[in-house]
Amino acid sequence: MSRRKDDAASPSGNDQQTGSGTADDPKAAGGLEKKAGVSRRRFLAGTAGLFGMITVSSCSWDEFFQQNFRRMTREEIDQTLARLQAQYKAKYGKDFVVGAEGPIDGTLFGYALDIQRCIGCRRCVYACVEENNQSRDPQIQYIRVLRFRDGNMDFEESDLYYDPDRVPQEGYYYLPVQCQHCENAPCTKVCPVQATWKEPDGIVVVDYNWCIGCRYCMAACPYMGRWFNWADPVIPAEELNTRTHYLGNRPRFRNIVEKCTFCIQRVRKGRYPACVEVCPVGARKFGNLLDPASEVSRILRDKRVFRLKEELNTQPKFYYFFGL
Amino acid sequence: MTGNKRTRAGANALLLAVALAAWAAGSGAESLSPSPGPATSAAEGGEDFPVPFNPLPKTITPCRACHGPEKDFKINWTREEALRVHTNIRLHHGGVRVWCLDCHSAEKRNYLLPLSDGKPITFEHSYELCGKCHGTKYRDWRNGIHGKRTGYWNGPKTYHLCTQCHNPHRPRFRPIKPKPPPKRPRSPVEASTKH
Ligand code: SF4
Repeated sequence: MSRRKDDAASPSGNDQQTGSGTADDPKAAGGLEKKAGVSRRRFLAGTAGLFGMITVSSCSWDEFFQQNFRRMTREEIDQTLARLQAQYKAKYGKDFVVGAEGPIDGTLFGYALDIQRCIGCRRCVYACVEENNQSRDPQIQYIRVLRFRDGNMDFEESDLYYDPDRVPQEGYYYLPVQCQHCENAPCTKVCPVQATWKEPDGIVVVDYNWCIGCRYCMAACPYMGRWFNWADPVIPAEELNTRTHYLGNRPRFRNIVEKCTFCIQRVRKGRYPACVEVCPVGARKFGNLLDPASEVSRILRDKRVFRLKEELNTQPKFYYFFGL
Repeated sequence: MTGNKRTRAGANALLLAVALAAWAAGSGAESLSPSPGPATSAAEGGEDFPVPFNPLPKTITPCRACHGPEKDFKINWTREEALRVHTNIRLHHGGVRVWCLDCHSAEKRNYLLPLSDGKPITFEHSYELCGKCHGTKYRDWRNGIHGKRTGYWNGPKTYHLCTQCHNPHRPRFRPIKPKPPPKRPRSPVEASTKH
């Protein structure tokens, strides 16, 4: 689904529309008329093809020519949000709030998870799915809770599918993994169309409408923090969360990549992410790294912390700590 | 004329007030109410912080209904395994070292034992008593490292008090049923046999 007709940086410069190169061809003196005719025909075919693509992909003219979120003017953003709200209303029969709240000045979000506290109950996984409108089928879950044997830290020996009657189990510990919101995020560097980037408050986001679904970012992420929509997401209508953000939990569609956004729709309004609020043992902590009095700052100062795969210099803002 | 003007102004003011009220109500509904009940506040070390009010079950209070001097109930100072009428309590806290009167005030049953300032602690402020033994946990809790908070990371929060997560008579968490694991991706073998 290419929708970058007017993008100068686009590599697909097969100029069907201009045809000027062929018309000015000096050795085509006799065949000039003929060439021009071909060129016109190709131009018409190209235009028809473009319209065809717009119709077949069932996306509107505005949607087709929508800018990258970061290059939109305030007016264009408002138009886009209004269009999306109307579109969601038509599709799901519900009134959605699609916000685009910007970063709060002086914030850099950080997360801390107490691995001595986590009991592996997976409440966070499902709270996240519901808050962020993740597809139930095919299944997408931003949080993976890994179970390790005590004393073992080998990810290859961890178990994602543990299913005992009760948790925590004797002899095991649990380590939930989600997007680590790296300061030096490799995923954003490999994106060929710059559809994903790090916001000023440290949240790594995706512009779903700009994403071309090449999945380079998924290959680049060392934490498996990104998910691809292999098919149209299926979510029961009554479970849809209608309070959304453009860069966050608004309904997605097939062929694009999505990920944890620290619940951008909540945290930009000051609220804690859904996983923090649901955790029954209070293992999850969230706050502003630039505020020395915030919970995360205190943890970084006073507790033993570590990050995953520090040797890769990804500089995650997701810390694990020992609370005891 | 002036009267007319005044009524117009009055009507405008009324309209504005109604609009403001509607807006306030709307925004109130929009934002999540951080604490469910009236909040009590605790001031310690010069720092004020809000804690939610957690009422005790009516069935067991006031303790003085039974344990008052007028009832002529003798105070039993020795540890006892059988807790008589308190059949719902199974004491599993601190092994054999801790017993009822290590936390509950013997003379003032509606209160907990005092700190060094001699003032009895109310049940609503039980976390102060918990901190007597669990000082490091208490400090971590005050700083938001231990325990759970909900609400706003940059604003009002609901603190979960010690006894809202831990049963004081049996503080260790009981294991719970985990939510279902994710679906496994289909293996190539499976995929080929299913087609
Ligand atoms: S909800 Fe809390 S305890 Fe349960 S798995 Fe998630 S982090 Fe661990």
